Amino acid sequence: MERFTFVQKIFLYLGIAVFLTFMLLPFFEMFMASLRPLQHLFRSPYQFWSDDMSFQAYSDIWETVPLLGRYIFNSVFLASVTTFLCMMFVIPAAYSFARFKFKGKTISLGLFLGVNMFAGAVLLIPLYKLLRSMGLLNTYAAMFVPGAAFLVPTGIWLLKAYLEKIPIELEESAWIDGASRMYILRRVVLPLAVPGLIVVGVASFIGAYAQQFLFAITFNQKREYMPLPAGIFEFVGYQSVIWNQLMAASIVGIIPVLIIFLFLQKYLVKGLTKGAVKG
Amino acid sequence: MATVSLKSINKWFDSSQVLYDISIDIEDKEFVVFVGPSGCGKTTLLRIVAGLEDVSSGEVEIDGIDVSSAHPIERGISMVFQSYALYPHLSVFENIAFPLRVAKTPKAKLQEMVMRAADILRLTDRLEHKPGQLSGGQRQRVAIGRSIVRQPKVFLFDEPLSNLDAALRGEMRVELSKLHKSLNATMIYVTHDQVEAMTMADRIMVLSEGKLEQFGTPMDLYHHPKTKFVAGFIGHPKMNFLTASCLSIDSDGVKVELPAIGKQLLPVEPIKVNQGEELEVGVRPEDLMLSETGKGLPLKVDVLERLGGSTLVYGSLDKYPNFCAMLQGDANVREGELVNLDVKPASFHVFDSNGNAMKRREVPEILK
Repeated sequence: MERFTFVQKIFLYLGIAVFLTFMLLPFFEMFMASLRPLQHLFRSPYQFWSDDMSFQAYSDIWETVPLLGRYIFNSVFLASVTTFLCMMFVIPAAYSFARFKFKGKTISLGLFLGVNMFAGAVLLIPLYKLLRSMGLLNTYAAMFVPGAAFLVPTGIWLLKAYLEKIPIELEESAWIDGASRMYILRRVVLPLAVPGLIVVGVASFIGAYAQQFLFAITFNQKREYMPLPAGIFEFVGYQSVIWNQLMAASIVGIIPVLIIFLFLQKYLVKGLTKGAVKG
Repeated sequence: MATVSLKSINKWFDSSQVLYDISIDIEDKEFVVFVGPSGCGKTTLLRIVAGLEDVSSGEVEIDGIDVSSAHPIERGISMVFQSYALYPHLSVFENIAFPLRVAKTPKAKLQEMVMRAADILRLTDRLEHKPGQLSGGQRQRVAIGRSIVRQPKVFLFDEPLSNLDAALRGEMRVELSKLHKSLNATMIYVTHDQVEAMTMADRIMVLSEGKLEQFGTPMDLYHHPKTKFVAGFIGHPKMNFLTASCLSIDSDGVKVELPAIGKQLLPVEPIKVNQGEELEVGVRPEDLMLSETGKGLPLKVDVLERLGGSTLVYGSLDKYPNFCAMLQGDANVREGELVNLDVKPASFHVFDSNGNAMKRREVPEILK
């Protein structure tokens, strides 16, 4: 049986089209801007297409900002380390929350959720003081330590929900067979939680990638440690902003994340909807 | 050699008590079944024996040693779960080998032990499969394989057959009984199905609402139920109960007034009841037969279930709407008819108003 009538379908697709346009238009304009010569960007009236469009900016970016490659690497590196660090805390914590009864469990879970409501920006000054007293300013750690800390609460909530769906009999059975808690976690729980781990990992990675700008410009002044979003500022000169190259560099910087996303997309969907339906 | 003793086990979950003072002694190599309706505490009791739950008070002894606070592995037990609890990411081989891997068994020995278990359970050609590729019965056998490979002293089964269809359940019942004989181990088996209990057990423990109702051999429970609950729970179809007032008590038994039949002396060893007190009189459907004299219990037949070998007759008798009789063969009765049923006085079970049974005097000899 058809679930929607023809008219309903038209509205459905119209809605999707409006939504997608809204979401994707900035990216499209970003791509178009990267193709235009700099002087065309300010041409009036606005010209969508011109004959002198080229990929020139994509080769120029490496000369304008020689450290661009390093910035891209830093971004991916920082996001990876942040994700790894985050997972190291999330896995045992989520497992404990999912399986053990202890005092203050509900309160601490609530606190984790509450912490999430503070945007990183609110805590920048205390964090700055903290990092300075720990001697971490101007290091990679200045960016991935607070980065991981901010991602842990969401990760715990996500993974806890996933781990709770693994039948407890599996663990009890292993427990009866003499397996230790760590052995059960390693050999039984984690292999079964792989889709959930991927979801949390990807969510953390994206989060880390997105939030690193704020931490980078406040806690780090070393150019070599800068991630892409901060490094991209070098396209903003004293006299002018090289918009087309800035856009090109942004696109190049997004590509690594995009590739990871494409590969993990099916797990993401599977993981987020798992357990919603029986079977 | 493995005996299991439960000594005055009490269990509370928060403020509600789920087990009341349970004490039983299970002998070596015995097959004991815990049976009772859902929520009676039988699974909790099994989990206490396994070490998955702590006792609130009391002791669990295995081989005379108090293991109440010992880790499951120190108790020498293994357990088969209702859901089988197979590891879906591991092959059948690895599932069976899991306890041995935990115990760091040398490779050659592990291989040999797994193969032996697989051989006993006819799983040799399934070793490379994942649990998801197996049928229900095969999964069940893998779960059993995992429990026998470690050669424990006591096997625990938590409703292992309840996920199987009826035909397979019958088959697995026989296989489990065979396994018990060949392994020569002590087994504790939890089920809500009294047929499973009757067919497999050496002794049965009947639980109701956390209390021990009776612990005895299947035939003991069948012929000498100690309480009305056991009488109603054991046996299929269920025992019929009638209320009858007590007319007199003497050394021969209890004289009662039965509906339609009238005064009747029932040969039981009377416990203290007052004259005129309401008693519960039970009669099993299989103890009823068609009367040839035209007298007896008048049953208005509502539904007939012809099973070939026997006929189940459901109908109303006097003020009792759900009376059941099991007649031999393809009985000559029709729905809507009024039939008269005979019953031997010795077949009656008599319970006082608290549900306690009076011991019956004349019962068929119980085969040992």
